[in-house]
Amino acid sequence: MTWLTVAKKDFRDAVQSRALWALVGVFVALSIVSTYAYVEVPEMFGSPGGATFGGLLFFTVGLVGLFVPIAAIVVCYKSLAGERELGSIKLLLSLPTTRGQVFAGKVLGRAAVLAFGLSVGLVVGLGFGAALLGELDGVAGLVFVLVTLSFTAVYATIVVGISATTGSTSRATTLALGFFVVFELLWDVVPMGVLYVVEGFSFPTTIPDWVFTVSQLSPSSAYFSSIVALLPDLADAAGADPAQGGPGVEVSAAEPFYASPEVGLVVLLAWLFVPLAVGHARFTAADL
Amino acid sequence: MAAIELEGLTKRFGDVVAVDGFDLTVREGEIFGFLGPNGAGKSTTIDILLDFIRPTAGTATVLGHDAQTAGQAVRSRTGVLPDGYHVYDRLTGRQHVEFAIEMKEGSEDPEALLERVRIADAADRKAGGYSKGMRQRLVLAMALVGDPDLLVLDEPSTGLDPNGAREMREIIREENDRGTTVFFSSHVMEQVEAVCDRVAIIDRGQLVAVDTIDGLRDASETGETLYVYVSDLDEGVLERVRSLDGVDSAAIDDGRLRVSIDGVSKFAALHAIDRVASVQDFSVVESSLEDLFVRYTNDVQEVEA
Repeated sequence: MTWLTVAKKDFRDAVQSRALWALVGVFVALSIVSTYAYVEVPEMFGSPGGATFGGLLFFTVGLVGLFVPIAAIVVCYKSLAGERELGSIKLLLSLPTTRGQVFAGKVLGRAAVLAFGLSVGLVVGLGFGAALLGELDGVAGLVFVLVTLSFTAVYATIVVGISATTGSTSRATTLALGFFVVFELLWDVVPMGVLYVVEGFSFPTTIPDWVFTVSQLSPSSAYFSSIVALLPDLADAAGADPAQGGPGVEVSAAEPFYASPEVGLVVLLAWLFVPLAVGHARFTAADL
Repeated sequence: MAAIELEGLTKRFGDVVAVDGFDLTVREGEIFGFLGPNGAGKSTTIDILLDFIRPTAGTATVLGHDAQTAGQAVRSRTGVLPDGYHVYDRLTGRQHVEFAIEMKEGSEDPEALLERVRIADAADRKAGGYSKGMRQRLVLAMALVGDPDLLVLDEPSTGLDPNGAREMREIIREENDRGTTVFFSSHVMEQVEAVCDRVAIIDRGQLVAVDTIDGLRDASETGETLYVYVSDLDEGVLERVRSLDGVDSAAIDDGRLRVSIDGVSKFAALHAIDRVASVQDFSVVESSLEDLFVRYTNDVQEVEA
């Protein structure tokens, strides 16, 4: 069980990162300002019927979807590549453990650090919102926090997995930023671009279903879909529909199974296991 | 059982052969010095013992376990002071040692270990602020956790002042007295000479000698070297000195004769030289192992060149 010991040590180490706490500070400030804005002028933020706690949750999803990837990159990109570059990995692997245990411990430790930082931000932001609104939906709040923490763990896994593939922090930075740009910033455009090419460099009149499915493959879309899947009543009330995701995407009337929000949970799981497998394989095979 | 057994161990990095077909046995309970110039392949070999890198060919068996397939078993009984490591800047010295104790499921008192390596007064400072020597002591303390059967120390006296190097040697001896096998690398002969039972000299990835310190001295005909000032030194004198009985080699060095003698007394040799050309002054140099080391590693280079 050395991975638990590794995780504990890693938590102790990484939780002292100033960059993490600067980010949490920014997140708290942002969530207070935006929560205030949402409560004051809800019609501007997709809740024409007035501000509700459920609406606030879905509003916060957007903020978390941006904050978690950035925080994960800051906290995790050096987790293994940095230890290899500096040589502290030699101290770690001189002890009776295995690379698999070290990898698992790193994922757990960094996920815990991220979850800790994010929890602080969420408690402050949502608490402030609940106080302003004078209402609190405990169950929905709990589901939201649990899914959000899972999403955090998934992102920690992705970035630690990326970090495990290389012994150079500059390459780890490039890979992690590249991942963020492709899967978070450009992902709405990518399926459309693929469609454009597939259709012979022109757009068809109706958008096929697979485009929507592909657009759901990014981790933060999957996170959003998962929230919708688990809180359907609130999603309806808040008018949140993942189908509105892409710009100008018009979903066909019949909803095939893969276009349902539940697919988000599956995608999130895949984002947990694929980086684990790739990172583990690369890390255990490497010459340090 | 051998503490370390290397068979045909080879490691290539691209075109570079870092370790070239080593066969080496380190016996249980000995202090074994692994000596070679920088870049000779010492750290590569140690990295293979610890499974930091994987050999291209050959096997490494440590404490009866294969280093590659049973690394965890190896390291559970091994204390390591690696080369080119880095401490966790944000953790204190005490936290480092506590971590090692927890990982090795040991029961030591961190304070006592830090006391032993003499950094107890800095136990609660972050290791990022430690000097190189203090870090070296800290990692040694981590290596001593769990009373290891084998200590693998890669350049242990790096960053230590002479006092620190002496304390390091004392700890090595103390551990060895407890029955711990010690395998350590160095590029300084003097350190190896002071504590080792046996030594391997490596150069450019190849083992050039494995022997006891005394054996090395004998094997490499290290008699004594005389520096002799004579009147009228010229090539003719040199030739005649060379042909003298007991003179191993002779050369002109800085206006003096440098004469290596073997099998005769210094007095007899001086007498003989005096008959060739009158001796004005002389000095005697005991050939050190340092010379021997230089000779071993240079010879190989000449052969290769």
